[in-house]
Amino acid sequence: MRVSLKEWTKSGEPWVWLNAGAVAICMIMVVGLLSLIAVRGLGHFWPANVYQADLVENGNTIRLAGELVDSENVPAAQLRDSGVAVPEGAEFMQRDLLKIGNRDVGGSDFIWVLDEFLENRSQPEMMFAAERREWGNFYGYLRSLKENGQVVASYDGYEKNAEYMQLWNRFQESIDRALELHDEIVEIEKHEIGAINYELERLRLKERSLQLKEVTDQSRYAEIDQRRKELDAEYEVLQKQLLDLYTQFNRDSFTAETAGGKTLEIGVSKVVRAFLPNNMSITEKVVHYFAKIWEFMSDEPREANTEGGIFPAIFGTVMMVILMSVMVTPFGVVAAVYLREYAKQGFVTRLIRIAVNNLAGVPSIVYGVFGLGFFVYFLGGHIDDAFFPEAKPAPTFGTPGLMWASLTLALLTVPVVIVATEEGLSRIPRAVREGSLALGATKAETLWKVVLPMASPAMMTGVILAIARAAGEVAPLMLVGVVKLAPSLPLDGNYPYLHLDQKFMHLGFHIYDVGFQSPNVEAARPLVYATALLLVIVIALLNMSAIAIRNHLREKYKALEM
Amino acid sequence: MTSEAKTHAIDISAMQRDNRILRLEDETCTLQVKDLRLSYGEKEALHGIDMTIPKNRVTAFIGPSGCGKSTLLRCFNRMNDLVDSCNITGQILMDDQNIYDRSVDVAELRRRVGMVFQKPNPFPKSIYENVAYGLRIQGIKKKRVIDDTVEWALRSAALWDEVKDRLHESALGMSGGQQQRLVIARTIAVKPEVLLLDEPASALDPISTLKIEELIHELKKDFTIVIVTHNMQQAARVSDYTAFMYMGDLIEFGVTDTLFTNPSKKQTEDYITGRYG
Repeated sequence: MRVSLKEWTKSGEPWVWLNAGAVAICMIMVVGLLSLIAVRGLGHFWPANVYQADLVENGNTIRLAGELVDSENVPAAQLRDSGVAVPEGAEFMQRDLLKIGNRDVGGSDFIWVLDEFLENRSQPEMMFAAERREWGNFYGYLRSLKENGQVVASYDGYEKNAEYMQLWNRFQESIDRALELHDEIVEIEKHEIGAINYELERLRLKERSLQLKEVTDQSRYAEIDQRRKELDAEYEVLQKQLLDLYTQFNRDSFTAETAGGKTLEIGVSKVVRAFLPNNMSITEKVVHYFAKIWEFMSDEPREANTEGGIFPAIFGTVMMVILMSVMVTPFGVVAAVYLREYAKQGFVTRLIRIAVNNLAGVPSIVYGVFGLGFFVYFLGGHIDDAFFPEAKPAPTFGTPGLMWASLTLALLTVPVVIVATEEGLSRIPRAVREGSLALGATKAETLWKVVLPMASPAMMTGVILAIARAAGEVAPLMLVGVVKLAPSLPLDGNYPYLHLDQKFMHLGFHIYDVGFQSPNVEAARPLVYATALLLVIVIALLNMSAIAIRNHLREKYKALEM
Repeated sequence: MTSEAKTHAIDISAMQRDNRILRLEDETCTLQVKDLRLSYGEKEALHGIDMTIPKNRVTAFIGPSGCGKSTLLRCFNRMNDLVDSCNITGQILMDDQNIYDRSVDVAELRRRVGMVFQKPNPFPKSIYENVAYGLRIQGIKKKRVIDDTVEWALRSAALWDEVKDRLHESALGMSGGQQQRLVIARTIAVKPEVLLLDEPASALDPISTLKIEELIHELKKDFTIVIVTHNMQQAARVSDYTAFMYMGDLIEFGVTDTLFTNPSKKQTEDYITGRYG
């Protein structure tokens, strides 16, 4: 049946199509964005096979080994212009990005090569990859294992056989032993010695504060000295333990031959994990993959944030958002209650409302500048003068830190909470308020017992919006407390447990830092995607928990049908 | 008597009249209104009302929409204070004390003069917490006292048997009629002296309306009740005294039977015979 264009327009169908189209485009963009960062980010952790090939260029042959990371087509003319001997007739040439590792040998661990020039490709089964604490990955052939400089096992061939596997197993045992020792060392260095250092610093501050207060009672100084001596003694013991551990830790080393034929001796203590990528079954690869993802989420970063995990950044982000919510909610709610319930509605309140709404549109970096100037330097400086004179000239709160970052973001998001709460308050039926007042409740009692509980879902909506805005904010944080690498988490076992004055790491800033400030661009790129994915997931989780709370409240205070 | 009232299964009028002749002069006065004028901004809504509300009786206010009957009712517990533009002169005396005096504690006044609104307005809390609300406001903390009062209030509101097994469920799950009786229970739980009912049955079905009317009859033993209604049959059924208001004036006030059978004013007669309103 033919329908004229006019009738079709009148039926409203084009309108429906337009709407559906807009929704579809939004969905495609969201799904596309998420899948891009997911694929790029998550692919990084897969243990790819290691290829070995001879690169023949201008008559020279170099033997390479590495993972194929990326490949692209380049116009042959472009290569010809830059002096590469390109075969006649080719229009495009394939160029591969290889991760060859061994930065300590070759200087860089990524290399672009023309696919055309690679010959004798193979995937040697005994080629192994080792993740190291520094200098990036190592690829090569394991030659021998040494204990205290004495060779305990060795192998010279290029064929994987039982003898090689024996060496390999010895090597794995040695790595496991070193990792255990490493854990012990970290425990002592970070926690035990860390706690002692922390207490020593507190003692120093205590003594300084006594001096500043001109206390002459010598017994109190003696007390401090006494405690300091105890701590020093404890420290000595730990230091000795540590020395022992380090000697044991550095006992083993291995020699390995690179694809290029160089032999290196490397300490086993430098290795995080070693594996034979070309000899792994798919199950082993999957296990390895998830182990790497877990490491990424639960470990601290290594090598200028290009290796290891990002746990401190996840922790810092969540911590900051929670603190921000805790600060912004009461503040915003109280302000909204005054504006809606107590203030005389008129020109001034309207003006304030407009101002509050406009505050939400101020660029976030402006808040950062304000936070730095007012919170950090002015407020923080005065807090230091008043409460921490003993620590001067080193600032305590007079320097960017977790508290100021949370406070700045709270300021940034307070308009959202005010607007949402006001909206909620205005929706409470008049009848319910009158019902409470008619029972002899005062206005304040009515507010606390009836109105505010009923408006709580609306407040949560405000908090959800605030979280959504604050969690993704990076620019102001760079001014008020985020750093590239924080030595410790803002929450630990040392009194007062939550260190609001400390600087912290943040996923958003981590993306910026890894992506743009990293010396090793190729190594950092997949981490940018992986971190971005994690940031999205963290924000989604934070939001979902807030939404769950709101839905629970909504169910509880279901609005009356009035 | 209207014929309609007699069609009810329970003939309230028969119980109510109990062969006694009511006279306003014999009653004890609870609230005395003296030259009460009320204006919203420029517009005067009550033009000098003088009347007395007799103790332990049901007084009904009738009149066409906008005549000021609800406004007058809301003056008794100062609910009009909530309206910004509202301006009141004159006096309402309760125990010889002007309730509009500066020294009066409004919250305490509202406790003594409880009010039930047109639409049921339970709080989004459990049935138990709704009734306990007023007690908690007063600072009563003992669980036994609260338990006993809640039970007494729900029994007095003829609701106990229906809800005793689900006291801790949300009040919003009840029917409209139950909700309105819950609101009455909530109001009497704080033991007010006067109960103001602002068209309490207008949003309810006939069965629920009947239950509310029976309840009013029961409650007048303990409380002075003032009811606003636009339903003249209801006024005739439940009240002892009736006031007819028109355009912000109190036209006629007297014993219900007399007012309905033998009104002294022409306007009253016109209204109750349905000639306007």
